[in-house]
Amino acid sequence: MGGLVVLLAACQPDSGPRALVFAVAQAPVNLDPRYATDAASERVNRLLYQRLVEFDQASRVVPGLATWDMPDSRHYRFHLHQPAASFHHGKPVTATDVKATYDSLLQLKNSPHTAEFRHVTQIVTPDPQTIEFALSEPDPHFPARLIIGILPADQIAAHHDFAHVPIGSGPFKFERWHSRLQLVRRSDGLPVYFDEVKDPNVRVLKLKRGEADLLQGDLPPELVKYLQKQTGITVQTGIGVNYSYLGLNTQAVFLRDVRVRRAIAHAIDTQAIIDKVMVGHSRQANAILPPEHYAGNAGLQAYGYQPALARQLLESAGVKLPLTLVYKTSTDAQRVRLATILQAQMQAAGIDLQIKSLDWGTFFADVQTGNFQMYGLTWVGIKTPEIYSKVFGSNNRPPAGFNRGGYRDVVLDDLLQKEEWPAITRRIHAQLPYIPLWYEGQFAAYRATIAAYQPAPDGNWDDLAQVVFHPAR
Amino acid sequence: MRSWGAIIKRIATVLPVVFGVLCLTFALLHMVPGDPVDVMLGESASPADRFALKAQLGLDQPVLAQFGHYLLNLLHGDFGVSIHTQTPITQLLVQAYPATLILAVTALSIGLLVGIPLGIWSALKAGHWQDVMVTLVSIRLAAMPAFWLGPVLMLVFAVWLGWLPVSGMDNAASILLPALTLGLGLSAILTRMTRTSLLEVLNEDYIRTARAKGLSERRVLLKHALRAALLPMVTIVGLQMGSLLAGAVITETIFSWNGIGRLLVDSIEKRDYPVTQACVLVVALSYVLINQATDIAYRWLDPRTRNAR
Repeated sequence: MGGLVVLLAACQPDSGPRALVFAVAQAPVNLDPRYATDAASERVNRLLYQRLVEFDQASRVVPGLATWDMPDSRHYRFHLHQPAASFHHGKPVTATDVKATYDSLLQLKNSPHTAEFRHVTQIVTPDPQTIEFALSEPDPHFPARLIIGILPADQIAAHHDFAHVPIGSGPFKFERWHSRLQLVRRSDGLPVYFDEVKDPNVRVLKLKRGEADLLQGDLPPELVKYLQKQTGITVQTGIGVNYSYLGLNTQAVFLRDVRVRRAIAHAIDTQAIIDKVMVGHSRQANAILPPEHYAGNAGLQAYGYQPALARQLLESAGVKLPLTLVYKTSTDAQRVRLATILQAQMQAAGIDLQIKSLDWGTFFADVQTGNFQMYGLTWVGIKTPEIYSKVFGSNNRPPAGFNRGGYRDVVLDDLLQKEEWPAITRRIHAQLPYIPLWYEGQFAAYRATIAAYQPAPDGNWDDLAQVVFHPAR
Repeated sequence: MRSWGAIIKRIATVLPVVFGVLCLTFALLHMVPGDPVDVMLGESASPADRFALKAQLGLDQPVLAQFGHYLLNLLHGDFGVSIHTQTPITQLLVQAYPATLILAVTALSIGLLVGIPLGIWSALKAGHWQDVMVTLVSIRLAAMPAFWLGPVLMLVFAVWLGWLPVSGMDNAASILLPALTLGLGLSAILTRMTRTSLLEVLNEDYIRTARAKGLSERRVLLKHALRAALLPMVTIVGLQMGSLLAGAVITETIFSWNGIGRLLVDSIEKRDYPVTQACVLVVALSYVLINQATDIAYRWLDPRTRNAR
């Protein structure tokens, strides 16, 4: 026991209070919420900043820093909660800070978030607790867009470097960021270190050795299973909402025929993949938004694995078997492994899947420019049903939206206009511009020193604000 | 004086090589798919925002104009800023290059300290079981890739024995495992080279003469044979050092070692052109300078090469 204590003590990054070391696959890139787009930055920013709105379990927008009302269809009025939250540098969060944050965002030319607020014509603050947004056109989803962390107005005016020295009002405050990022929990002073460890095997060894206290996601299933067998390590799993799919180029020869797309769906044994090579709590997907989402559809039935039916569908579409399709994916080992499984399964249906594994930059550039027949990706952290319009709306080819496969469907466009979510999801499920795969289960692995940690369905790290250590250890 | 002139001439040859690397890198980066503006703004940005950012980054200019602008800034010592993090690139290089340098020097030291004595021992025991053992071990070590050897060393020395940290740069001991991963492979090469070279020298006439004159075996080895046998090592060490300074990408990634190799790979993935360009320049410069230094050292150590044309 004495040796263990010495060992654990030696692994603490600094002397002083107990610390938590979180080994992450990717370090954050930019901690200014007006710029951040990568998952790690957005997850850390949720700890550093507070937002005007949050989302509940069904992804409905709920008050964050403020409640709101709608004087008319083009105006939203937000009322900050009292007593006011405080920034890490001591000043209270006021309407001026909210206005300064969004005003500065609107003026930025190099922010990926500015486009979301193109229709904001004016922001005014009638009093220190109230902010009014005036829009050029009605937007029922406007509150759901207000997820940018609020920055202090005085620091915006001083051109503070939020990207590297963030100041927010969230449950964690920034301490330092040299080779590793260090935050401190405001409630009890707990230091939390974010160690970037790219190799999954090394992350596991660090957890086992005690150099890391916590891992979340980004491990191949066999390593999760390995960790589940280790004493002194707890693996907590939970459902996920991030949607994995096969994107199809619906303008390509054969793939423009819905029978071919259905044949592909019938050529994949999704459930077998989930059972054999996915982490616990992974589940079959039938739509981008999961059934528990307010715009979800629990009534959709999965396309079963029926290779004989797939062959029939291909032949009825005039395809000479085998049908050769090129599947593009990244070089990520798990992605490549899944590609080889798909290749083997599709063979039985008369589809010769040729795998092209590309470095991320090249792969994503090909996806964005429509240079593909088929690719595999995951939508992460999607909250609003507007995604259906952005992804499948005929007018939403990039750069207007994410309709990368060039899908055109006037029936769907009409339904999207009316926002009839059950009918929209049924139509998409029948027409299959995407082949739905699964919502991968979430998991966290932590050492016995931690009492409990629950991974969030979208993979965020919010539970760091609640995590506690066993007092006796 | 002539010797100094030759050295200056050699250093002058560095410039066209580095310029060639600059041109090639710039051209290749602009040819590969992927656009930093797409990466930064996402797909839903308006064409106007896209154009504004392109103008801000200077990417709306013709490629030759961009290259000219880049060279001009470079001559003023300005590498620019990272597109993604807005951090000055000089700052990124100042953090990453010393880390790579320390790792390279430590790995090279391990390689020399292990490889040369083992090579000598192996040559002296040529044909015996000790030689066979050293040969077997060194061939296996040379064949082990870093992505396999690194995790094995972690498992043994960090997890099972608990002697060293798994990865990171938290304390002085953190360097040992990545340096061993690189150094053991290097030592295997040096063992083989030393053995072969020493065996060749030991069969030379002047060694036979030295022995015939009644010199002790120890004196023959240290004074006559080893000096000549180790001369080719200078070239090998120079080349290896150049490679190590070019960034041991896999080792740096596995061990979370924030060196130049890791910075380079990250920047390529993110299409952070200015960072990639700066890393390639630094790596190329290191490689060329180390090779020139090796040549100069060789001329100094071996007088026969001084008059070679």
